[in-house]
Amino acid sequence: MRHLISILLQNEAGALARVAGLFASRGYNIESLTVAATPDVEASRLTLVIFGDDGLVDQIIKQSRKLVDVIEIAELTRRDHLERELLVVRTDGAPERVDACVQQFGARVLERHGTSVLVEFTGQPDEVDRCLDALMRAAELCEHARSGIAAIERAVLTMA
Amino acid sequence: MNAQLDSIGDISRPSSHPLAGKAMTGADIVVQVLADEGLDVLFGYSGGAILPVYDAVFRHNEANLRDDGSEPLPLIVPANEQGACFMAAGYARASGQVGVALLTSGPGATNAVTPVRDSMADSIPLVVICGQVPTAAIGTDAFQEAPISTIMGACAKHVFLVTDASALEATLRTAFHIARSGRQGPVVVDIPKDVQNTPLTFRGNRELPMRGYRARLRAVQDATISEDHCAAFFAALGRAKRPLIYAGGGIISSGASASLQKFSRTFGIPVTTTLMGIGGFDTTDPLALHMLGMHGTAYANYAMDDCDFVFALGARFDDRVVGVPAAFAPRAKTIAQIDIDPAEIGKVKPVHWHHVGHLDAALQRLVKYGQRHGFSPREDGRYDAWHAHVAALKKDHALNYQRDSALIQPYAVIEAINRITDGRAIITTGVGQHQMWSAQYFDFREPRRWLTSGSMGTMGFGLPAAIGAQFARRDLTVIDIDGDASIRMNIGEMETVTTYNLPVKIVVLNNAGDGMVRQWQKLFFKGRFSASDKSLHKKDFVRAAQADGFAWAQRLDDPTRVNSTIADFLAFDGPAFLEVVIDPDAGVYPMVGPGATYAQMITGDWIASRTGPVAETAGPTGMF
Ligand SMILES: Cc1ncc(C[n+]2csc(CCOP(=O)(O)OP(=O)(O)O)c2C)c(N)n1
Ligand SMILES: [Mg+2]
Repeated sequence: MRHLISILLQNEAGALARVAGLFASRGYNIESLTVAATPDVEASRLTLVIFGDDGLVDQIIKQSRKLVDVIEIAELTRRDHLERELLVVRTDGAPERVDACVQQFGARVLERHGTSVLVEFTGQPDEVDRCLDALMRAAELCEHARSGIAAIERAVLTMA
Repeated sequence: MNAQLDSIGDISRPSSHPLAGKAMTGADIVVQVLADEGLDVLFGYSGGAILPVYDAVFRHNEANLRDDGSEPLPLIVPANEQGACFMAAGYARASGQVGVALLTSGPGATNAVTPVRDSMADSIPLVVICGQVPTAAIGTDAFQEAPISTIMGACAKHVFLVTDASALEATLRTAFHIARSGRQGPVVVDIPKDVQNTPLTFRGNRELPMRGYRARLRAVQDATISEDHCAAFFAALGRAKRPLIYAGGGIISSGASASLQKFSRTFGIPVTTTLMGIGGFDTTDPLALHMLGMHGTAYANYAMDDCDFVFALGARFDDRVVGVPAAFAPRAKTIAQIDIDPAEIGKVKPVHWHHVGHLDAALQRLVKYGQRHGFSPREDGRYDAWHAHVAALKKDHALNYQRDSALIQPYAVIEAINRITDGRAIITTGVGQHQMWSAQYFDFREPRRWLTSGSMGTMGFGLPAAIGAQFARRDLTVIDIDGDASIRMNIGEMETVTTYNLPVKIVVLNNAGDGMVRQWQKLFFKGRFSASDKSLHKKDFVRAAQADGFAWAQRLDDPTRVNSTIADFLAFDGPAFLEVVIDPDAGVYPMVGPGATYAQMITGDWIASRTGPVAETAGPTGMF
C-alpha cells in the first residue's frame, strides 16, 4: 500500500540523511521525497512517499519519531488530504499539438524557442502522469522534471 | 554527578556558573563541560585531530590537582579505541552515569563504531567525542578524514557534527542530556579541529532546543497511569491464576529494581529476566526464576509456557527470548507491557494493556493502587497453587551438569567463584558459551553487577568493560569471565589492567576454540567444525599475562584444585589472571534452538525435561 508521510525536521547537519537512511536500511524504496523550507528557519518539511505493508510502515514511523531531529511526523494517507505535484517539460516539434494539450490540461507555456515549447503543469500526481503522457504523444519530449509531492491535510493538522 | 536521569533539560536558566563569561577555546570548553557533568574518568586515544582537547585535559588536570595529588579527570589510555569505548560503556553500565571517550578523527573514530552500536543496542548512555579534520577540509578526503556523522548516524542515538563553534558548548551539554534521557543511548560529537581552537566565551548553561525530542520526552515523563487504566490492569491480574513478570534491561536503566521487588513481593508474582535484566531482581529470591529464552533456565521457560498473564517490563520480546512469536507464552490470556519507548509496545506480540512511561514510577503507582483497592493475593491465596507449581519447576528442572567428570566443568568453576563472591561481584563477559554459563550459574543480588554485550553479542567486550567497571566501582571485585577466543579480540587491554594497577580478575575458560560456534555446528552442520577449532593455536595465555605484567597468572587444569586455586586467585590483591582448561565438549543447556518453541527446548543430559527427548540435531535453519 502507498503511504504518504509528512515530517517536520530540524535543520541539522545530517538530519535528512538520518531520516532517509532509516527507510533505506529497512529496504524501503523511497518513491518520492521533497524537502523544502518552512516559515520556521530552523525546520524543513519533508514529504515522503513509500510503498509497504501497513504494519511495517507503522513501525518505521514509530522508529522515525525517535530520531532526535524529527519535530513532528504524521502519515497523511490515512487522513483527508490534498496532494499536488509540479511538472516542467520541454518538447520539440508540433507546437500546435502541444498547445492543444496545454489547453486541455490547463497547463502553462513558460517559453518558446522555434518549435520547442517549455510547459509547466501542476496537479494531482495522477493528473501529472496523464499530462505527461499526452505531451509525449503530441510531440517529442526533450527533457522533463517532476517536483515530487507537496501534501497538506484538509482539516486542521495536529501531528504527534 | 550526572544530572538527574529524567530532567527534561534546561535551555533557558540564567547562568550561575562561576566561570560564566570567561574567555576559553573550544577545547577548553569541551573539558569544562566534562568537568561540569561530574565525570571522574575519561577514556581515549590521542591523534592529530583531537590534540587541542588532549592539551586542554592536561592543563585542566594540572591546574586542578586534588589534595591527594590525583587528577580530577584522569585520561585512561587503552590499546585500541574499541577498548576505550567499551571501557566507557563498562563504566556506564556499572555506575549508571554517562561514560565518555575522547578519540581522534578517521581511524580513531571508525574503531569506535562497534562499541557505539553495541551501546545503542543495549541502551547504554555514552558520549563519544571525536576530533574531525578542519571545517574547510571536510569532504576533501583530507588526511584521516572519515564521514563520522554519516557512519555513526546509522549506529548511535544521535550524532552532532559541530560546524558552528558558537554552538559547541550547547551541543556538548545537549549530547549528555540525550545520552541519559528517555531510552538511553550513545551520542557522538564530531568536532573539527578549527572549532576546538576557536576563541569563545564560556556561558555555563546553554543547551540546544531539540523541540521535538524534548516534547516527546516530556510526554513520557508526565505520563501517569489513570485510575481506570489501573483498574483495568488489576481486573486482568485478578482474573489470572498464573501471572509472571518478564523483566528486561529497562528495569536496570530506569533504576526500578527496588520497585520491581516491591511489586513482586507485595502481590506474590514470580519474576524471570532477560539476559539484560539479570540483577534487576535478586536471583536468590524465592520468586526469582532467573533468565528465560534461548539459554534460559528450563524452569523459567516452562513457567513462561504455563503462565496465563505476562507482565513485560522494559523488555522488548527479542528473538533470543521469544523464538517463535506466535508460540511464545501460548497460554497467556493477557499480556501487559510497560516501556519508556513507544516503538516497543506491541512490536513483536500484540499486547492487551500497556503504558508508556518510567518503569519506576509506574510500578510504584500500581503497587499503591493495588494495595488501596484491597488486591491481596498473598492473603486470599489465589496464586498459592501457582507458587507451588513454580517451586516444583525450580526443583525438578534445576540447572545441572556432570559432576564427576575427569575434566574441569565450566559450571563448577563459576559455582566455585560464586560461593566466594556471593552474588556481589561485578561480572563481565565475552560472548559465547562462557557468557551463557555465567548468566546461568552466577547469582546477582543487585543491579549493575552483570555487564554483558546482550543485543550485539560483541566478542571482546569483557576485558575493557571490566576495566571501565573497576574505575566506576573501586570498592567492588570485578571479574571478567572470558572465552579463549573472545579475549583475543581485545587482548591488548591486558596491559591496560596492569598499567593502571587495577585489581581486575580475569578468568579465561579455555575450551580450545569458539565453543558456541562449535555447539551450533554440532547441532546444525553435522559436526563439521569449520574454522572454530583453536586446539593447534600456540598462545600461552599465562606467559602472555606475565609479559603484560600480571604478578599472579596461573593455568588450572586439575579438577581437584579448582576450589583452592580460585580462592587464591580471588584473594590476590592486584591484577590476576587465571586460565582454566575446561572440557571442550561442555555445552550450554538448556537450548531453545533458533526458530524453535519453548516446548521444543533441549535440556541436555543433566537437566530433566518434561517433554521427553527432543532431537539433538536439526537441519540448517533460516533463523539466525
Ligand atoms: C566480534 C564477534 N565476532 C564473531 C562473533 C560470533 N561468535 C559468537 S560466539 C563465538 C565464539 C566465541 O568463542 P569464545 O570466546 O572462546 O567463547 P566460548 O563459546 O568458547 O565460551 C563467535 C565466533 C561474535 N559474537 N562477535
Ligand atoms: Mg572458547
